[in-house]
Amino acid sequence: MSEATAKRHMGLKASRAVTNTAIHILLIVISIIWLIPFVCIVLQSFRVENSGQVGYVLPKVWGTDNYSNLFQTDFPRWYTNTFVAALITAVLQTVIVLCMSYTLSRFRFKMRQPLMRFMLILGMFPGMLTMIILYRVLKDLGMTQANATPGLILVYIASSGMGYYVSKGFFDTIPTSLDEAARIDGATRAQILYKIILPLSKPIVIYTILTAFMGPWGDYVFARYIAFGASAGKNVAVGLYDWLSKDQISNNYTMFCAGGVLVALPVTVLFMFLQKYYVEGVTGGAVKG
Amino acid sequence: MASVKLTDVKKIYDNKVTAVHDFNLEIKDKEFVVFVGPSGCGKSTTLRMIAGLEDISGGTLEIDGEVVNDLQPKDRDIAMVFQNYALYPHMTVYDNIAFSLRLKKVPEDEVYERVTNAAQILGITEYLTRKPRALSGGQRQRVAIGRAMVRNAKVFLMDEPLSNLDAKLRNQMRAEIILLRQKLDTTFIYVTHDQTEAMTLGDRIVIMKDGFIEQVGTPQEVFDTPVNLFVAGFIGSPQMNFLKAKLVQEGSGYTVEILGARIPLNEDQNAVLAKKKVKSMEIILGVRPEHTTVLFDKTENAIECAIDVNEMMGSELHLHLSSANDDKIIVRLPTVDLTKEQRNSLAYGGKMYITFPAKVMHLFDPETERSLIDG
Repeated sequence: MSEATAKRHMGLKASRAVTNTAIHILLIVISIIWLIPFVCIVLQSFRVENSGQVGYVLPKVWGTDNYSNLFQTDFPRWYTNTFVAALITAVLQTVIVLCMSYTLSRFRFKMRQPLMRFMLILGMFPGMLTMIILYRVLKDLGMTQANATPGLILVYIASSGMGYYVSKGFFDTIPTSLDEAARIDGATRAQILYKIILPLSKPIVIYTILTAFMGPWGDYVFARYIAFGASAGKNVAVGLYDWLSKDQISNNYTMFCAGGVLVALPVTVLFMFLQKYYVEGVTGGAVKG
Repeated sequence: MASVKLTDVKKIYDNKVTAVHDFNLEIKDKEFVVFVGPSGCGKSTTLRMIAGLEDISGGTLEIDGEVVNDLQPKDRDIAMVFQNYALYPHMTVYDNIAFSLRLKKVPEDEVYERVTNAAQILGITEYLTRKPRALSGGQRQRVAIGRAMVRNAKVFLMDEPLSNLDAKLRNQMRAEIILLRQKLDTTFIYVTHDQTEAMTLGDRIVIMKDGFIEQVGTPQEVFDTPVNLFVAGFIGSPQMNFLKAKLVQEGSGYTVEILGARIPLNEDQNAVLAKKKVKSMEIILGVRPEHTTVLFDKTENAIECAIDVNEMMGSELHLHLSSANDDKIIVRLPTVDLTKEQRNSLAYGGKMYITFPAKVMHLFDPETERSLIDG
């Protein structure tokens, strides 16, 4: 290698190193900015000396009092409400979405296209529009206020069939000859779905479960409206937010932070284990995985 | 092991396109039948109707004497091999082959026996624990065949099983399918667009075009006595030459006139034409490349041709010629007897002469495209 070429090659390497370093510094700065609020919340949740808002971040006295105090409030009830709603919704919604997607991907029936178009248009209206009528219906069914949780589950899963887009897109990439081979091998449609299609669609199944779980877990507007002030019917988002009201914030702020940490914990753990599939799932519909 | 009978079977799609018109065929027990034709001729659709993957729009389909039109694929007791193998990617080879047996709740030790037995016949024993993606195309196709084999189905359907393989592997697998057929001794229906596969594999060949059956017969029959221009051109490689000619009735006999050559027909041909009361007419004369005699010197009844292309195939030459009529003719000429001078003379622009005996000539009506003698 001549000296000039050597220099040129060195130049490429060096410029790559500079670019990489710059990008990494930028990414680190962004992550720090992103993480600051979370770190603050976690730190506040361990502060014992003052239960209101203060002008510093690091607690002066550390302790887990805020966490143990949570159990003296309605928080366990809210947590259970939320968890039950999210879990049942996750299961039912996943089943509905996957069956719906498989049907739309594999079966050819007369109203298939009109149905898909109808759901697309329907999906463009904000769900909030239905709030008043839903409240009336649920009230008549006795599913509001203290009994809000079953009512909420009903609302969450009612329209779940409309969330078929991503998984149908993924199913479309699985060759139909696999279905046909399985049909000839003696499998029923249901067996084809859970023995052939679902094992091949793990990322999408996990993505569907996660999104189905996250909806109820973080819901505020519907949950607040349907609980309508009854503490026993609140979910964590509604219950915790009420602690930030003017008359409660000075007493409950650190407890709010502790509650927030407990709410974030299961989801964080879930994502850490499943994020690989989650990312695959989001991009899975476009390019065959 | 079963017979298959199709009576007026039709396929009409929702958009009113008819893919298969009144398909009538009786397939005997243990027969190997090949559906062959260009793409879009309805051969795969027919096979899929037999499999139960497509609804039958009209007519009846019987397997072993039972009408199965409305039975699910799994209740028809058929096995099928797909063009793209259709192996279950998340299962090992063993699980792929065992899948149908497990669905039928066959005891696990019998599953083991049947899977290993099939694997041994197909030579894939060492791959049983692998996933399909770790196999080559030929191995995958063997697994697909194994999956069909273990079911001991009444009818074995194959939808272009070799068209995803490269040429060398295809020849090898073709021979293996013949061996497999002898071992399994069951009814086979095989779909292909490749006439060589059809000729080498089939007991009988069904030649299809645009949803119609053009001809059904043994490979020898469809080769020797094609009933129309399409079959004549489709079967045989290189394909049959078609030349403009004249059929002349002279007394009790007929003569074909082409570019000054006059070739009298033989007794059998005369008898058929006389019986059909055929008059003198313009015809299309079909002659296979391998039935053409090549002459280097002009003789009586020889047709003069100019050489366009000379393809060296090793043991023989394929000569592309044009006649004075501008008909394009391909002839096959074995190289073994050629002298050096003769070989050198066969270059572009050179002249040569061809002739053929009456018995190899196929006469077609230019309007109906049907054979005047056969069919």
